[in-house]
Amino acid sequence: MLRNATVSAIALIATLATAQAQAATEITWWHGMGGKNQEVINEISKRFNESQQACALTPVSRGTYEEALASGIAAFRSGEQPNILQVFDAGAATIMNAPGATIPAEDLITKAGYSFDRDAFVNGVRYFYADANGKFVGMPFNSSAPIMYTNTEAFEKAGVAPPKTWEEFETIAPKLKAAGYIPLVGSQLTWMFFENFFSRNNVQMASNTNGYDSVEGTTINATDPNLLMMWTKLKEWHDAGLFGFYGAGWSDNQAPFEQGKVAMWIGSSGSFGGLQSTATMPFSADFLPYWSSIEGAGTNSFIGGAALFAMAGHDEAQNKCTADFFQFLTSPEIQVFYHKATGYVPITTAAYELAKSEGYYDEKPVAEVGIKQLTLPGGEWSKGYRLGFYPQIRSIEEREFNRIFSGETSVEDAFETIKSEGDALLARFAKTAG
Amino acid sequence: MADLTESPPLRAARVRRSRAPAAAPAPAKRVQFDAPVLPWLFLAPQLIVVAVFFYWPSVQAVTSSFYIEDPFGFGATFVGLSNYTDALGSAEYHRVARFTAAFTAIVTALALAIGLLLAVKADAVIRGAATYKTLLIAVYAIAPPVSGLIGMMFFDMHIGPFVTFARWLGWDMQVGLDYVDTATAMIAVSVWKQVPYNFIFFLSGLQAVPVSVREAAMIDCASGWRRFRTVTLPLLAPTAFFLLIINVTYALFDTFGIIDVMLKDKPANNPVTLVYKVYNDGFRGNDIGGSSAQSVILMVVVFALTILQFRFLEKRIHYG
Amino acid sequence: MHRTRPLDHLILILGAVFLAAPVLVAFMTSTHTAAEIHTGGLQILPGSNGPATYAEVLTRQGGFTGEVTGLRMLMNSLILGLGFAVGKIVFSMLAAYALVYFRFRFATVLFWVIFTTLLLPLEVRIVPSFQVMSDLGLINTYPGLIVPLLASATGTFYFRQFFRSVPDELLEAARIDGAGPVKFFWDILVPLSRTMIAAMFIIMFVYGWNQYLWPMLMTTDERMFTLMRGIKSILQVWVGSQIPDYNQAFALAVLAMLPPVAVVVIFQRWFIKGLTESDK
Repeated sequence: MLRNATVSAIALIATLATAQAQAATEITWWHGMGGKNQEVINEISKRFNESQQACALTPVSRGTYEEALASGIAAFRSGEQPNILQVFDAGAATIMNAPGATIPAEDLITKAGYSFDRDAFVNGVRYFYADANGKFVGMPFNSSAPIMYTNTEAFEKAGVAPPKTWEEFETIAPKLKAAGYIPLVGSQLTWMFFENFFSRNNVQMASNTNGYDSVEGTTINATDPNLLMMWTKLKEWHDAGLFGFYGAGWSDNQAPFEQGKVAMWIGSSGSFGGLQSTATMPFSADFLPYWSSIEGAGTNSFIGGAALFAMAGHDEAQNKCTADFFQFLTSPEIQVFYHKATGYVPITTAAYELAKSEGYYDEKPVAEVGIKQLTLPGGEWSKGYRLGFYPQIRSIEEREFNRIFSGETSVEDAFETIKSEGDALLARFAKTAG
Repeated sequence: MADLTESPPLRAARVRRSRAPAAAPAPAKRVQFDAPVLPWLFLAPQLIVVAVFFYWPSVQAVTSSFYIEDPFGFGATFVGLSNYTDALGSAEYHRVARFTAAFTAIVTALALAIGLLLAVKADAVIRGAATYKTLLIAVYAIAPPVSGLIGMMFFDMHIGPFVTFARWLGWDMQVGLDYVDTATAMIAVSVWKQVPYNFIFFLSGLQAVPVSVREAAMIDCASGWRRFRTVTLPLLAPTAFFLLIINVTYALFDTFGIIDVMLKDKPANNPVTLVYKVYNDGFRGNDIGGSSAQSVILMVVVFALTILQFRFLEKRIHYG
Repeated sequence: MHRTRPLDHLILILGAVFLAAPVLVAFMTSTHTAAEIHTGGLQILPGSNGPATYAEVLTRQGGFTGEVTGLRMLMNSLILGLGFAVGKIVFSMLAAYALVYFRFRFATVLFWVIFTTLLLPLEVRIVPSFQVMSDLGLINTYPGLIVPLLASATGTFYFRQFFRSVPDELLEAARIDGAGPVKFFWDILVPLSRTMIAAMFIIMFVYGWNQYLWPMLMTTDERMFTLMRGIKSILQVWVGSQIPDYNQAFALAVLAMLPPVAVVVIFQRWFIKGLTESDK
């Protein structure tokens, strides 16, 4: 009897739920995440659907970042686009240069009747997906920062402290080497020592205000004397055995650190989750160093990761739901949940404060380094960059970096090449607007 | 009628023809049906699918090659042939093209040679034949992302078993850093993936060789090598020609997944093929016009190459 | 008839090791934990985590709807593999038959029209292809998954090669007996092609089974997900932030090998049959 009652109760609830689902406005979210991160996205979507009745969100994994963008483009051209599309940092210029494809997140949210406070977002996040006037076009979602991981044993053995600046690095590196370690290794040097060289040292990366003002005539500042200084040093360190280079692959450079052979590794703020299960030694983390010799250096870094874009071509009810979801997503509770589950940084100050008050960083101090670095005082050139065909420009940078360390080219020639080929690509991109 | 294959005179005729010296190939068949409508009916399914799903999209891809366009379809600048001249004029493109040619030649030659050797041997042995066949074919069934992963881990610069082995031999192999080392690893994995394919088709070609022909060959030629060269190889020629074309297209087009995994999606200064560049510029970088032009160039080159192969090689093939 | 020599076996054993060892390695690796694989690389000896990994892979209800089980993905992959292999063989045998056995205008032109499809990979025309599928309303359907993949000349080319090597006397004899084109095709050519069909079936089944990019683009409904997508998705964690569940990817790959291997084992008999029946 009881069993029957339970069954009918469940049936009733199921019917109600279906009825609600049918009444709800359905929206879709295409993203480029797999594995654990995909499960977290599903969890957030479920929570959103449970939190209200008007909207039903369905997240769909569309392969990798590139595949997600390509399928979003293909779908948009056929009128089958999702409501929300996740686009990665280097692809941001592509979608932001096609204004008809998206509704700026800020417009969408204010139109839905919410107030939008730009200052609620942390410094490093605020401008990256915004237009030249500071209006949010993309909704920052998964964000990370390049930080320096330190091998605790190595520093104890050498009797030195982790460096804040590259000048400090130069004084301690020989001691780390003498203690039997490779002092420094970095993954994805394009992000660490190129893009974020400009942000951390507050140096202009491209003309037209880092490309924000216009696509016409934008050129890349790849022959900046300070940048060349940094890379000349890197090459010297490499030749002196103070800097290890293992090619462009991310994990090839991370592995020696995990094996305890390296004192400092520049990685992502999100890397610590993985490191906890793979590092063979205790480790800590610190900010990405900067040059104290450069005036105004020490500013926040650019974020890496991806943002969510509201695609155009949907009706009011659906856009309202997208706005509701964006609001839900930026709530401190969801941000902290996401931060803890994935290792990406919280994007609002409120969320950061909440995580702090919950004592999360007492438990995992390394988790705070990335968000702290993003909340550092901003500079004129640490807001972000908007460069078309940037994935191809990155490929050029990677190619030239390999050639620098293999001795095939000089630092000057390499950056000359990056500049000339990069500028050619930027000029090409300007033509895509028609 | 259904027993036609079994009728003795016919089998004798077949064998006689098979052993006859190669003659100049007739257009297709000496005898053909004359039916005006029927062939079109037989061809219709393939032609419709090809027209709708190949030519229709391809025409758009070719059109794109004359524009620099916004991928979302909002803007486009007609640039005439400049996408073509940009690609053909760049030193990087030449470097990639040279590597692609070498890569394709080596992968095709190795994959065909190993596949043929194994097929001939598997055809010759009786004991354990089924086991060998299953083992040799099974690799073809490994999921491509995982075979790429196996290849990548096998050649990992820190912990790869092959790299450890190479160090022991005094070869400091650094895949991802050293051009030649990376190329070696890429070729090895690409060949490994393709050998089972060639093995299957060579084996099916060999098994279609009538037993009577083999028996006659055993009597005529005592030396195994001579038998292979004068009897087996000519009979395999139609299959080999098919496989040659397929392997060339495999090496050119289908290896990019392997290359991408091996390079950990960062090409840097490492060798890549032309299709990888098309993928990198078009799919990853959203330069639709530029990548379309590159693929049209590639298509024209491969088409020319194929016509050459048909002209010069197919003449030497004796069908049936 | 044949004298088997030890050298033949040696070559075959070496070949089998060269080709099949990675399969064994994949299995052994799947029994270790993700962290062990990340730091230690490929494994030759069994680990302790095997049962847990396989149980997880088989029973987990993945995806947003919870409907993406291993079984569901297996079924979709099977439909794709079988549908593609059968469609490919039927279409290409018919087309090759028309091209080789009929005298009609444009035969050469049509051969090249079909043959050209080998020369432009799907990746290049993927955006326009999606538009075509969308116009035809085939997104999220099985035909939408299978039919566009049939637009390739591999099979037609292969059967053309084989049909051309079939002795002309067969057709002459058949015509004397009064057999028409359809009867000749069905009663003589198809049975004769058995070995070729078997080889084609193995290759095409695996090809369809292993498709990734096209199904990924064409399906937005989780219920249409294939095994290959499951494997890619596991591996696709941004390296650096987390370790991919290598063990699960390897386990899924080992499981994904079973149906193709079954196909190989089943069709292996055809390889031998084709030989013994027609030419005893």
